[in-house]
Amino acid sequence: MNFKTVAKVTVVAGASVLFLAACGSNKSTSSSAKNTANWTESAELPTMDISKSTDVVSSNALNNTNEGLYRLGKNGKVTPGIAKSTTVSKDGKTYTFTLRKNAKWSNGDKVTAKDFVYGWQRTVNPKTASQYAYLYSGIKNADDIANGKKPVSSLGIKADGDYKLTVTLDKPIAYFDKLMGFINFFPQNEKVVKKYGSKYGTTSAAMVYNGPYKMTGWTGTNLSWTLKKNNDYWDKKNVKMSAINYQVVKDASTGLNLFNSNKIDFTTLSNEQVKNYKNDKNYLVRKTASTFYVELNRNDSDKTLAKAFKNQKIREALSLAINRKSYVNNTLGNGSTVSKGYVSEDLAKNPTTGKDFTSDAYVASAVEYDQAKAKKLFKEGMKEIGETKLNIKLLSDDTDGAKKSTEYIQGAWEKLPGLTVTNQNVPFKTRLSRSQAGNFDTVISAWNADFTDPISFLSLFTSDNSYNNGKYNSAAYDSAVKKAEGADANNETARWADMVAAEKQLMNDQGVIPIYQQATATLTRNNVKGIIYNTAGSNYNLKYMSVK
Amino acid sequence: MRKYLLKRIFYLFLTLFIVATVTFFLMKLMPGTPLQNEAKLTPSEKAAILAQYGLDKPVWLQYFIYIGGIFKGSLGLSFQFSDQAVSYIIGSRMGPSMQLGGQALIVGIIFGIILGAIGAIRKDTWADRLATVLSILGIAVPSFVLAILLQYYLGLKTGWFPVAGWSGFAYTILPTLALAASPLAETARFIRTDMVDVLSSDYIELAKAKGLSKFGIVYHHALRNSLIPMVTLIGPLAAALMTGSMVVENIFSVPGIGEQFVKSILVNDYPTIMGVTIFYSALLCLLLLLTDIVYGIIDPRIRLSGNGD
Repeated sequence: MNFKTVAKVTVVAGASVLFLAACGSNKSTSSSAKNTANWTESAELPTMDISKSTDVVSSNALNNTNEGLYRLGKNGKVTPGIAKSTTVSKDGKTYTFTLRKNAKWSNGDKVTAKDFVYGWQRTVNPKTASQYAYLYSGIKNADDIANGKKPVSSLGIKADGDYKLTVTLDKPIAYFDKLMGFINFFPQNEKVVKKYGSKYGTTSAAMVYNGPYKMTGWTGTNLSWTLKKNNDYWDKKNVKMSAINYQVVKDASTGLNLFNSNKIDFTTLSNEQVKNYKNDKNYLVRKTASTFYVELNRNDSDKTLAKAFKNQKIREALSLAINRKSYVNNTLGNGSTVSKGYVSEDLAKNPTTGKDFTSDAYVASAVEYDQAKAKKLFKEGMKEIGETKLNIKLLSDDTDGAKKSTEYIQGAWEKLPGLTVTNQNVPFKTRLSRSQAGNFDTVISAWNADFTDPISFLSLFTSDNSYNNGKYNSAAYDSAVKKAEGADANNETARWADMVAAEKQLMNDQGVIPIYQQATATLTRNNVKGIIYNTAGSNYNLKYMSVK
Repeated sequence: MRKYLLKRIFYLFLTLFIVATVTFFLMKLMPGTPLQNEAKLTPSEKAAILAQYGLDKPVWLQYFIYIGGIFKGSLGLSFQFSDQAVSYIIGSRMGPSMQLGGQALIVGIIFGIILGAIGAIRKDTWADRLATVLSILGIAVPSFVLAILLQYYLGLKTGWFPVAGWSGFAYTILPTLALAASPLAETARFIRTDMVDVLSSDYIELAKAKGLSKFGIVYHHALRNSLIPMVTLIGPLAAALMTGSMVVENIFSVPGIGEQFVKSILVNDYPTIMGVTIFYSALLCLLLLLTDIVYGIIDPRIRLSGNGD
């Protein structure tokens, strides 16, 4: 054997390995089978425990594998779930749900009222260490239980037999029916929770399902899993998909390559990719109920700045100086839209006219761009507070996107006479803790609505709310929000008017400076139909999904 | 020999102890807790969550519990995955990284030796220059660039290999190739330099004079002698590859430990960051120790203990 032979053998061996591998790889192609689809998530699944879920990935997975009293349908409207019928007492404080008798868990157990009682008690129990128990606030004794003052059994939920469930509230909650469609209020099977103990919800096997699909193939840390049609689901005849295969893809270009090679039917696009795929037939923008806004610290330790931020003209000038349209289209370019106000668009509709909340509560001057007016107002404001120069620090995250945002706003603000801006880009958690401690001048914050009601946004800026980092303080605003949550809770139109008044007050005061509403640009195979998207809570409901 | 081993193992544990201590206190200096919704949690809820992670105790006590836990194989609970032990995360994510690293090492070394040998035998010809260019490219081009190119051309354009994912041997090929480039290049350069030396030594001239075939000389005399120093290279290479390439795993969506490590850092999952750091250190120390032992065995000129036994 001489050297040439060795070289030849190597080449042939290498080529055959490549060939064999290539043959092996052609097994799976997406959408080939009519009732399966290949989906992606951009992050791992951290848990399948209803009481522990805090993130979007697990919320989506739980929403499609489990079901509560209601299921969220189109435009945030509730559709029947485990509850067959509901009666509400006149004072709006007692809800009686009649459950359907044919609802089953995937282990064959019946879904009963006791499962709701157990699941709810488990979530509010401080020992469970749930991070979203605060959503239960308003249900009788929930706050006291969370504070450890009352026993878990005192929670305002009672099972009357297997199929009747009574919920008592401390005060009427206008959006209570919507909450019932959120995963945090889903039932839990006590037998299964006890059986797996601390392992409950840490793998797809250590969990039980009562929704349209059940999960298989999730080991707790891997990057792929499957949602299979759940044949124990009460409404299985309306579930058309037999399987939806999930894969975690974190790299945007990998996602695009997988999509273009037909291996997946859904991928999210990065800002750079959007430019090339804007006109693709599969291009789909998904709005989220998430607003990015700037908070100004009225309690700033720098007394000059605190004084400046209390000045209406300076606040308005800082808002008018930002060209949101150019920022959203040129800097972000991911389908995000200019905020029409603090509350996001497509979240809630006027109960009488059907108009969007943002149209009813629109205050143009609070989200407009007018540099000349900004300069004029800024000069006047500076005169009023007796200063000529301001030095503001702008706090934000240290991601690439956040850096671009701070640079843009810095550029816009520094056009104002006498204003210099220093950017502070810090890790996410540092930004949060500094915001909460009031250790900032201005900060770019974001809020995602917990549920599809404007109050989920508006409750943030009451003077005593822990997320009101800039210490916005308005008696009119506080009273409007209070009325919407209290006195007018049972009167849909009055409550709507209260919320519109609150938003208008906040915008007229320029209490915060809204910048943009976030959206996710995606490629979603256009033969996939029937997905219901929601802007708040779980992103999508796949119950009626189908592949044409 | 035994004395030497004991000494080395003692140092191994000392190193790991220092690594664990330093990482622990560095992580304590960082902001962030497992609390996701701090402002909305009641004091008793906060206390319950912190207690679950053992964060309710003073730092010095947490430190002793942590160090004690390591001896029992426990590295605490992850912040990112609820109720998931860090040791389970490492265990379940190690497999793919080890497999890719092992495959890349084998491919890299075999082809590196061939490339290096060609360069040395055909010194100063076009083949030598080609081999040199290839190995420079292998070192100069970062693995993630190679990964993106491989994915685009061999995955998407030709459709020969899966673009990304992890469900069968076919899925390992592109990431293996991306990872193999650098060990291949290093091996090739190493072997070439070493073999050029060996090929000009007297005993090779003697073998030639005896009339041995060219392959016989290269295979039996030149290559074997060049391989001994290779052992020192393999240890660190193996450690670098087996611990998982963060970028390559991310690009090919491989559920490996490197990919997880990146994510843990991004989400401030301190227990996992600490666990993986300690695990990486242990692996590296172990491989270096093994290298030294193997080296002593195959090359009698190296004595592991100073006292000449």
